[in-house]
Amino acid sequence: MSRTLIQAKNLRKKYQMSKTNIVQALDGVDIEVQEGDFSAIVGPSGCGKSTLLHILGLLDKLDEGEYNLDGLDTTKIREKDANQIRAKKIGFIFQGFNLIPSLTALENIMQAGKYGGLNARQRKERAEELLDVMGLQERKKHKPNELSGGQQQRVAIARALVNKPAIILADEPTGELDSATSKDIIDLLKKLNQENNQTFLMVTHNMEVAEMCKKIIRLKDGRNA
Amino acid sequence: MLEIFRNMFRRKLRTILTITGITVGIFAFTVMGSMALRFNKMISGGKSFITGQITVFPKGTSFTTGTTGLLPLDVLKRIEKVEGVEAVAAGVELALKEPDPDNPTGGAGLGIPPTIEGTDLDSGHRNRNWTTLDMKAGRFLQKGDLDSYVTVGYTIATDNNLKVGDKFAIRGRDFEVVGIVDQTLTGPDSYVFMPLKPARELLIESNPFLKSLKERSDEAAKISDAALASLPAESRKQILEARAFKFEDVTQVAAISWQDGQDPEAVVDRIKEQFKDEVMVLSPAKMGEQIDKASAIFNAIILGSAVIALIVGGFSIINTMIMSISERKKEIGIKKAIGASNSSIAWDYTLEAGFIGIVGGVIGMALGVLVAILINAKTKASGAEIFLIRAWFMAVVVGFSFVLGIIAGVIPALRASKMKVVDAIREL
Repeated sequence: MSRTLIQAKNLRKKYQMSKTNIVQALDGVDIEVQEGDFSAIVGPSGCGKSTLLHILGLLDKLDEGEYNLDGLDTTKIREKDANQIRAKKIGFIFQGFNLIPSLTALENIMQAGKYGGLNARQRKERAEELLDVMGLQERKKHKPNELSGGQQQRVAIARALVNKPAIILADEPTGELDSATSKDIIDLLKKLNQENNQTFLMVTHNMEVAEMCKKIIRLKDGRNA
Repeated sequence: MLEIFRNMFRRKLRTILTITGITVGIFAFTVMGSMALRFNKMISGGKSFITGQITVFPKGTSFTTGTTGLLPLDVLKRIEKVEGVEAVAAGVELALKEPDPDNPTGGAGLGIPPTIEGTDLDSGHRNRNWTTLDMKAGRFLQKGDLDSYVTVGYTIATDNNLKVGDKFAIRGRDFEVVGIVDQTLTGPDSYVFMPLKPARELLIESNPFLKSLKERSDEAAKISDAALASLPAESRKQILEARAFKFEDVTQVAAISWQDGQDPEAVVDRIKEQFKDEVMVLSPAKMGEQIDKASAIFNAIILGSAVIALIVGGFSIINTMIMSISERKKEIGIKKAIGASNSSIAWDYTLEAGFIGIVGGVIGMALGVLVAILINAKTKASGAEIFLIRAWFMAVVVGFSFVLGIIAGVIPALRASKMKVVDAIREL
């Protein structure tokens, strides 16, 4: 039996856009992720994919429902604890790479290590190790704007991996990449999944990418489809 | 840490302008503060001197026009007999050099111009607060010293390059330096202390009216009593009047010490009562109050300049930080998403503001000190250094600018740290 990392039931979330316009982004979604999963959440625009990912990543709060993250009841935790959990248990990869522009590739990776509680020496070692895995040793002193999209996304993946998270959440990781680079990135994630049993949960609207995943979770209108 | 510095200069012009704002404020603070230090030091020295004795001037003395009369020896002798009075010391004061008609006070507004202090060495008077002056070299004047001996203040010695044993020409007369007083940062620095007799002679020499009185008196003294008796009544009266002028009556100020256990204010009241037509008496307590009032006003001006620096600089930092933070909203979101705690975000931005403050502070302080040194060098020639530069004050100024930055940075930084991650991320 593998470990259940995410067990969420009946997730509900609504956003008040204006006085009269209330959007029910999630309307009772169930989701389960096991250790070692490589899953994709798919669905049309506005189906609640990103909201679901934000809630699972503790970036946003639930209105209703149950959510256990690696055995922890997240409905009871405070913002301060959520920061810590994000730092240690969850890795994030974003569509726009979202590296800190003033930091070099190496520093971007090390910064996440700092939030995860690594000391300066550990951060450096871990970041160097990941740069090797990503094949980015030569680019480590470069700032994000001096890197290609694929390279930036590799730095972002390395950053997500620094604290050896239980799960990596990826929001459209290939959204801004051409198809060849997209394939490279997904292959890289897959390799990490196979070799290190690293769990991934990604949101995508690209079916080609979704087909490469082991499991597909479909959403429509804020519900499981 | 490195990131904080890089962030500061991501918007170079804006950061530089903000730093310039702080620089201007801190510059004003440094300059005004150094002036206040100098002024307060001078004032507190003067205060402790003036409150350590009872000072008496001739009736009719005006401190604003500089008019002064004379205190006849007879009056001083009678004051000495007032109950509670221990000793009365006659004194004479005059400018070290013939005043320049274009700059009659001889100073640059602030500070004490070089002055000759004719000191009564025989009186036994002692100032309660200034019993002795620390000497840098040699010794202070003492009872029985030659009329040609002088002790000079620190500034006088430095400006005229004097050592103990040197000859020092004052108003055309040669004196010998027997001692140099250590720096006091107040009155004595620009004093030349000399025995009463030569000081009186120099004063008479410098004052045409006194000079003519003295000449007439000397002439009159040459006329024998027998010759006088044979003169007509009118002439005889004139000669007797001329003779009435005595060298010992040339006293401009007297310092009075009170006996141990006596209340100085009671002694002041007694002198005021008995000599109300002859002298003006300065009470130690009232003079102390006057001086405190004056320095309180001055200090309020200094404090005001610091407050303006604080407001102007503080607001420009707040403004810059709010702009920086709204520009970096997304970045803050990312940092929080990857696990940054609220406090680490708040701390980063607060420190960034603190560094802006400290950079502006160091530059402003350095410029202020530079200007103070330059002006001091320029005004030193006239014996008045306007600024007192102190290492501790420089440290306080820089510390103040850092704290100012931190305080101004706290509000924007807290706003940044409380930003909701999802809102920040949506900016993508």
